[in-house]
Amino acid sequence: MKEAEKSNKFGVITPEVLNEIKDAVSAKNVYTDEADIESYSYDYTGKIFAQRFDVLVKPGNAGQISALMKAATKHRIPVTTRGAGSGLAGAAIPIYGGIVLSMEKMNRILEIDPVNRAAVVEPGVVTNDLCRAAAAKGLLYAGYPMSTELSFIGGNIGTNAGGGKVIRYGNTRRHVLGMDVVTASGDLLHLGGKYRKDTWGYPIMQLMIGTEGTLGIITKAILNLEPLPGKTVNLLAAFPDLDSMVVSVAGVVKSGAKIISCEFLDRLSAELAAKYLSTELPYQEKTEAYLLIQLEADSDEQLEAAYEKVGGICVEMGAMEVFIAESRTDSNAMWQVRQNIAEGARAEDPHASISGDIVVPLSEVPRIMKIIAAKCKAWNVVTANHGHIADGNLHPLALKPKDMTPERWAVYSEEFYADLIQEAVKLGGVGSGEHGVGCVKLDALFASKSPAELGIHSGVKAAFDPLGILNPGKLTAVK
Amino acid sequence: MRIAVLIKQVPAVDSVRIDEETGTMEREGVESELNPLDLYAVEAAARIKEAGKAESVTAITMGPPQARRALSHAIAMACDDGVLLSDAKFAGADTLATARTIAAAIKRLGKFGVILAGERATDGETGQVPPSVAELLGIPALTYVSRIVELTEESITVRRAVDGGYETVRAPLPVLLSVTKEINKPRLSTLAGKLRAKRARIDVLRASDIEADGVGLAGSPTRVVKVMYPKVTRTCRKISMNDDHEGTVREAVKFLADNSFSDARVEGVLS
Repeated sequence: MKEAEKSNKFGVITPEVLNEIKDAVSAKNVYTDEADIESYSYDYTGKIFAQRFDVLVKPGNAGQISALMKAATKHRIPVTTRGAGSGLAGAAIPIYGGIVLSMEKMNRILEIDPVNRAAVVEPGVVTNDLCRAAAAKGLLYAGYPMSTELSFIGGNIGTNAGGGKVIRYGNTRRHVLGMDVVTASGDLLHLGGKYRKDTWGYPIMQLMIGTEGTLGIITKAILNLEPLPGKTVNLLAAFPDLDSMVVSVAGVVKSGAKIISCEFLDRLSAELAAKYLSTELPYQEKTEAYLLIQLEADSDEQLEAAYEKVGGICVEMGAMEVFIAESRTDSNAMWQVRQNIAEGARAEDPHASISGDIVVPLSEVPRIMKIIAAKCKAWNVVTANHGHIADGNLHPLALKPKDMTPERWAVYSEEFYADLIQEAVKLGGVGSGEHGVGCVKLDALFASKSPAELGIHSGVKAAFDPLGILNPGKLTAVK
Repeated sequence: MRIAVLIKQVPAVDSVRIDEETGTMEREGVESELNPLDLYAVEAAARIKEAGKAESVTAITMGPPQARRALSHAIAMACDDGVLLSDAKFAGADTLATARTIAAAIKRLGKFGVILAGERATDGETGQVPPSVAELLGIPALTYVSRIVELTEESITVRRAVDGGYETVRAPLPVLLSVTKEINKPRLSTLAGKLRAKRARIDVLRASDIEADGVGLAGSPTRVVKVMYPKVTRTCRKISMNDDHEGTVREAVKFLADNSFSDARVEGVLS
């Protein structure tokens, strides 16, 4: 973004405006050091997408955010809200500069309420910290993005994060009961609450979920907690080819077993993660695809029956072997590999593009797998394919061809994904299941939606944020 | 040749809670698992059998009836059958009484060419049972075995970890080995293995089935009289960088020097 164009659309942060920002959020929460600005200018999508901005703010409470938004509105300064920076579509990248609002200081778990099965948290709470706090009271926070050790709840909500347990518990939207939101003009809204039914007016809270901080700033969340699952077991099925893995998924899903997770890793994904972790999965040298399946049951006997049935289906469909985790150590060994594919890819290729996130109906998974293979050939790209296959959600992770510059690759990889997205949409799917649109998939979003739908998008944005200062350049075009 | 693997069911390490009042382990609702270090012994036995040097592998454990699960795990990995030593009279045993019980059972079960065990159990952490069993059986004990170099019908050559390095030793069979984590990478159980474990033979031996004196709590010369929970206390001093960078660094270095880091000093140019 050229400086001239920026200043054309938005206000400039003069020393006077900076003082107003400091008055709003307290000077100790305002950072303008080169090093601070640099490290908040990009997210996990990649440093190549970094955008300069002017002021980093780490507010301590909703009142400060409200005061900040009043100043931002007055001077028309862009405000981009940021969680842990683990996003994979560049939603937290401040395309138009201005202010980055990091929620890291608002990281308190305010309440775990067993009676209402609800947690009240600030947006900077790390997902896994909430999971632990809930588990200590015998409850489960069921959100399980692969970045659970890192990502913030606020970011989970902002991207409607999915992850490895969506088939059983749904995505983040299903876990949000209520929230406090500061609007673009600085008003504080209390939306939803500790209840699970609500036909009381437009579902404004739902619009805040998955909209990447373009409509408001979440300052508190009330989240649904589930009872802890009964007994669980993890299975790792090794397949000699993709086809037998894909047909197994359909069988597993309709087996009647209670499935918590059904994750797919192809050969390259397993290799990259295993190498990074200095480990090896069993049968790795002859496996083209793994399924990692987690099952739940009330008793050991039921669990045994469930894994025998599900494992049996995999064997029947062609699995060479099905491994059963006997302990937490075994389970961790399996899940560690699944959780570290992105890290493994980045260790091998720092420019690996992790943003691929297409979704198709489950019945179209076989077809999209073949299309991915064909497109890889056509684009001369190698992908490590993995994902939440029972949700029809696949992550083709593209490695940079050796002879391409990182700058060219940043564009080329997204053009490649845009091509895959078109195919996914043709099959009745969408371009992103959980990573979001961010700055990297905006053109693909515009290309796949009708003018009528995009018009409503713009109208919604204008209703919440008439000046367009909340995370500009995301989800809608900047006017 | 037959092989025996001595195994133990232990509380899953990350679910152990100690009651600070009584100093005892809270076992209520605690998950159990096969002692992680025993997996290496099971794997070592499996590899000997797969190399065609043994016709069978028997897993042996002493414990309550639910310890059958640990035997099933060992069988699902690679063992052929299991023996559970379970009797109220065995309860509360220390390492010597446990070794007496296991040694008596092994005598009753017949000849094993190689007896394998993990280095130690993750709950007791003593590592005393395997060599005690060997002593009671009157056979050599090779501890901390990190590699089996050669196994013949008469003898075994192993590399064992010792202070500062390794030594390679040979012993005649029968022999008892306790193995370290270095020896192999244990396999995961397979579905086929789990199904086999369901059908496999697991014999239960009671006190009356074996000839053993001095078992259980009554036969234990040692008593746990007190368990202390180590208190970890850490203090933190936070030094924030202000505009006087050099002063801040000097303050940090002085703090380290004053607190047993006697080598701490400022080197080079601070800017």
